[in-house]
Amino acid sequence: MNVHAVADVFRRVLENPRIDADSDFFLTGGDSLLATRVLSAVARASGVELAFDDFLDAPTPAALARKIQDAGKIPDTRNIQDAGKVESPA
Amino acid sequence: MSVVVVGAGLAGLTAATDLAARGVEVTVLEARERVGGRTHGIEVAPGAWVDAGAAYLGDRHTALAALLAELDLKTTPTTMDGASRFALGGADRTRAGRFPPLSAVALGELFDALEELDRGVRADAPWLSAHAARLDALTAAEWAREHLRHPDARLFFPLFLGEMMAADPADVSVLHMAFYLRSGGGVRYLNAFAGGAQEHRIDGGAHQVCRRLAAGLGERVRLGEPVRAIHQDGDGVTVVTATASVRARAAVVAVPPVLADAIEYRPGLPAPRSGTRTAPGCAVKVHLVYPAPAWREQGLSGWSVNARGPLLSTVDDSPAAGGVGVLTGFVTGREALGYAALPAAEQRERALAQAARLFPGLPEPIGCHVTDWVHERYSRGCYAALFGPGDWTRLGPRLATPHRRVHWAGTETSTEFFGLMEGAIRSGHRVAAEIDATYRRRDLHD
Repeated sequence: MNVHAVADVFRRVLENPRIDADSDFFLTGGDSLLATRVLSAVARASGVELAFDDFLDAPTPAALARKIQDAGKIPDTRNIQDAGKVESPA
Repeated sequence: MSVVVVGAGLAGLTAATDLAARGVEVTVLEARERVGGRTHGIEVAPGAWVDAGAAYLGDRHTALAALLAELDLKTTPTTMDGASRFALGGADRTRAGRFPPLSAVALGELFDALEELDRGVRADAPWLSAHAARLDALTAAEWAREHLRHPDARLFFPLFLGEMMAADPADVSVLHMAFYLRSGGGVRYLNAFAGGAQEHRIDGGAHQVCRRLAAGLGERVRLGEPVRAIHQDGDGVTVVTATASVRARAAVVAVPPVLADAIEYRPGLPAPRSGTRTAPGCAVKVHLVYPAPAWREQGLSGWSVNARGPLLSTVDDSPAAGGVGVLTGFVTGREALGYAALPAAEQRERALAQAARLFPGLPEPIGCHVTDWVHERYSRGCYAALFGPGDWTRLGPRLATPHRRVHWAGTETSTEFFGLMEGAIRSGHRVAAEIDATYRRRDLHD
């Protein structure tokens, strides 16, 4: 999952289109409940299950994307496919 | 024009106050020797009051905010500063903030699923929602078994539902759970302290709202008058208590549906407004009083979440003015039924032992108050009635529909903020306007 895909998840969960790579989730309307919904979307898209504290450490799309890359052992092709799925309307 | 109001809780007293202001001759009949219904204050130390019943409000609770302003009551922020304690299996844990030491992905999946339910329900008429029949046939427990894969989600869900609506998942239909979420402003608003439905308390206690409303109504409020029957004829109603009968043009019944159904109506109700699956809100509230909020000195907020009871969660409810420290424990759902059945000494012992485990170094308590709402004769549950399978589909359309000259109020008749103080107050305003519209018009034609 790249930084753009993570930023898209932020935008959808926060219902805020003005999120960029360095927007801090918890300073742009995010709380712990919404954070879990980012992490469940990340898990669906990338297969990487991060903990709440990982997100506290990496609260921007750029930092979170790096965490996902570090944690993930899943090939890039699958990331791209599944990221597409997340963005399609539920 | 005259109206009898049955029940001196927030709904009844709001309705009576509105009607009196419009020049209606009002009599309020209250079964208890106090007003307030499911709001009730306990003075735990001289001048220090705690809420034994409803306590919290948020910024969206605009009718309550307006009433507080009229009554010159202030709010105080709920304090959540510090670390939380969690006893969710394994060793007890202390963590910064309120997030439990559970899989965030699992909880995210739970909240995703709850939001999908919330989005699918019609807030104004849940029985008309798409898939209403299917959602009303299933209990929340059955839904959880089907939809929650992760053990952490299965562990957390009943705690969450207990905290949010004092319900055991087996007691409520999925439709009721979804409606409750929607009605209260969504899962995130209902769950949040800061920025949510628990942002504030009423300084000095929520019970003051009804006390001040009753003071304004003066002798129109009669205590110790449980209503037995309501008879109607072409001209009006006769409301019968153990010792009196009161004649009026119309009646407002502002008690929970199960209690309203226990009144004898002539002519009878076309159908009851509660069912065999309608359960009482299962809440026992425990207040442990200490000389000071000692947990704060250890950097703890007083907030805890516990997989095993009796106290499934605790929160710091110390009076804003200072002085004593109050730890409020919530015993909800199935746990409440077992706990309520224990002798008082054992209730106290178990609550204090658990608090001592959660917050080591607590001093000797100076008080312990247990309020059992489940068996409270004139409430029959708290926070609100729990609608079980089939209830919304059958009862929903009738909850607020007048039975000729008998009109209904109470938080259970409000599709907005159902189960909360806000819903009760809104229902009181709604029923007063309904009566005004119905009988003023009739009077013109009479």
